[in-house]
Amino acid sequence: MAYDLLIRGGRVVDGSGLPSYVADVGVKDGKVVAVGKLNDGAARVIEAAGLAVSPGFIDHHTHLDAQMLWDPYGTCEPQHGITTVVMGNCGLSLAPTRSGIEDAIVKSFVRVEAIPRFALEAGVKWNWHSYGEYLDYLEGKLGINVGGLVGHIAVRHNAMGEDAVERKATGAEVQKMRGLVLEAMEGGALGMSTNRNERHMREDGKPVASRLADDEEFFGLCDVLAERNAGVIETILGRNKIEHFEFYHELAKRTQRPVLWQSLQHRWAEPNLWREQLDAVEPIFRAGYQAYGLSHTVPLVRHFDLTNCQVFDEFPTWKNLMFLPVEVRKQAFADPATRQKMRADLASPAPTNFHRRWDIPKVEKVVKPENQKYVGKSIEQLAKMQNKDPLDAFLDLALDEDLATVFWNANNGGDWNAMGKILRSPYVLVGTSDAGAHVQFGADFGYGTILLGLWVRERQVMTLEQAIHKLTFHVASIFGLQGRGLLRPGYAADFAIFDPKTVQAHEPEWANDYPAGSKRLVQRCVGMHYTVVNGTVIHEDGRMTGDLPGQVIRGPLYRQQKAAA
Amino acid sequence: MGVSFIPVARIGELSPGSVKEVDLGGRQVLLAFVEGKYFAFSRHCPHEEADLKAAGQFLDGTTIRCNNHSYCYDLKSGECTLPKGAAPLTVLPAEERGEEVCIRLEW
Repeated sequence: MAYDLLIRGGRVVDGSGLPSYVADVGVKDGKVVAVGKLNDGAARVIEAAGLAVSPGFIDHHTHLDAQMLWDPYGTCEPQHGITTVVMGNCGLSLAPTRSGIEDAIVKSFVRVEAIPRFALEAGVKWNWHSYGEYLDYLEGKLGINVGGLVGHIAVRHNAMGEDAVERKATGAEVQKMRGLVLEAMEGGALGMSTNRNERHMREDGKPVASRLADDEEFFGLCDVLAERNAGVIETILGRNKIEHFEFYHELAKRTQRPVLWQSLQHRWAEPNLWREQLDAVEPIFRAGYQAYGLSHTVPLVRHFDLTNCQVFDEFPTWKNLMFLPVEVRKQAFADPATRQKMRADLASPAPTNFHRRWDIPKVEKVVKPENQKYVGKSIEQLAKMQNKDPLDAFLDLALDEDLATVFWNANNGGDWNAMGKILRSPYVLVGTSDAGAHVQFGADFGYGTILLGLWVRERQVMTLEQAIHKLTFHVASIFGLQGRGLLRPGYAADFAIFDPKTVQAHEPEWANDYPAGSKRLVQRCVGMHYTVVNGTVIHEDGRMTGDLPGQVIRGPLYRQQKAAA
Repeated sequence: MGVSFIPVARIGELSPGSVKEVDLGGRQVLLAFVEGKYFAFSRHCPHEEADLKAAGQFLDGTTIRCNNHSYCYDLKSGECTLPKGAAPLTVLPAEERGEEVCIRLEW
């Protein structure tokens, strides 16, 4: 057989951003060997007519460091077309470690990433010390490809023990940390991450170790990457205001490494911040340096009716009404004097997170057939149709349907125009799935399938080709993932094969698949038909095949050393 | 317009540090008895809607932290104290009236 796998007749979206085209894809020994009209035989053929065939997606912002030890797929990553993940973000990694500091690392993961302690204790066996040994331990046990960043927190504890959460480092300790970062990079780390977010404490209430680092220490560690011309610097500094961009500029200029900062998103409470952030970051790129902002694709949407609504809780009269017994509430909604108080609430000058705009909330579902004509209309449009004040139109419709009318509102990510500009920006790295973290509170494995379903198909803020580029080669380029992220001969045969007409993430749901029988939230998907890793199908229409073709992806210093050897 | 006092617990029903789930007009509310005072607040964190019954942790008499992303809220005002300026937690006034703890709602 010429090929191990032949994907026939799909629309190839190759990750470059160039226009897609119909072609067959031939795979041999885990790599793409031919793209075009292929007539030779294959051990397995996937008929992909009507489907898109793209490089597998690369989830660059995960906390799967622990989960990959018991779950070779990082479930539910492959269900969403993800074939490669990067762990070790936000200063948190499980290596380097040494005897006696393991619990300090656990304490940080438990609090910052909200991973249950009993899951970590049951699932992490600490069979390594160095970062390279940690990656070695994963070799041969993976269903997807895995790379990682070395976390400043583990590095600091390694050098300073518990003093890492108490004080500034000495010069000798900074030197020791620099050695540990270099060792990690030579062992295969893709870069370094740090965390100065003021919210990020350990389980015992102490700040995570990296928060005690001063600029001298932080820059000293980043200089290791600069001196070796390798790796990315991922940060969560709690600094996303305009005055902070000088810091990112200085860091990017000093190191000439890609710097990642968190985060950039549209919020009604600060509706122009995203634009100011993009304006602030542009000069950094124009000067020749790289400082990518991370942004999410998942809008914070609320579907509500007036029997159970927290959208207006920032307004005192509204809030109290929403907790009244429903019959009392209905009487109040009908009362002109109460409406006047509600109107006054909305007009008060106090700043709120709610946008106070009637052109954003929409009628989503109605009960009565005669109200069907209002579905999809904003409250502002509804008011115009009825020649009423928006507040009156809103409440009258709800009362007419016994408060059962369902409305839609978006806070973060609710401005399609803004989201389009953010997601299309070349300075924005799409995706903060946080996979492997906050496992009992949320699940955003589907950030990519939401990009394809919501933002490409429904909102049309970008083309399919642009979106695939953002999910694949854009990430691979920044993180230096050699041979990944494009569907071209010579590249790894990592594919997402999906139906662009149907692909979409489901709402999260509970599962009992974590260590020690603990629960967590997972997220399924429709329209993702096959996920292929290094030429082997690992996911087929919602079913995992059980194969483990994943590889550890090591960074440039490791590759250089290996090549030299 | 009016005022309602809605009873949600008997005095003595909650032990110190405990939390009671309350349905108030179809909304899920938590009533906490902390350091001799009652606090009523929305069950869901305003940041990303984590269930504070599971994720909430009292730091002192008047602060609750959501252990999902470590957002902290003042239970008296609902103000987000960490990070400052984020969306507030919905809080409701809880009062002892006779033998009962009541939520005062004015509209």
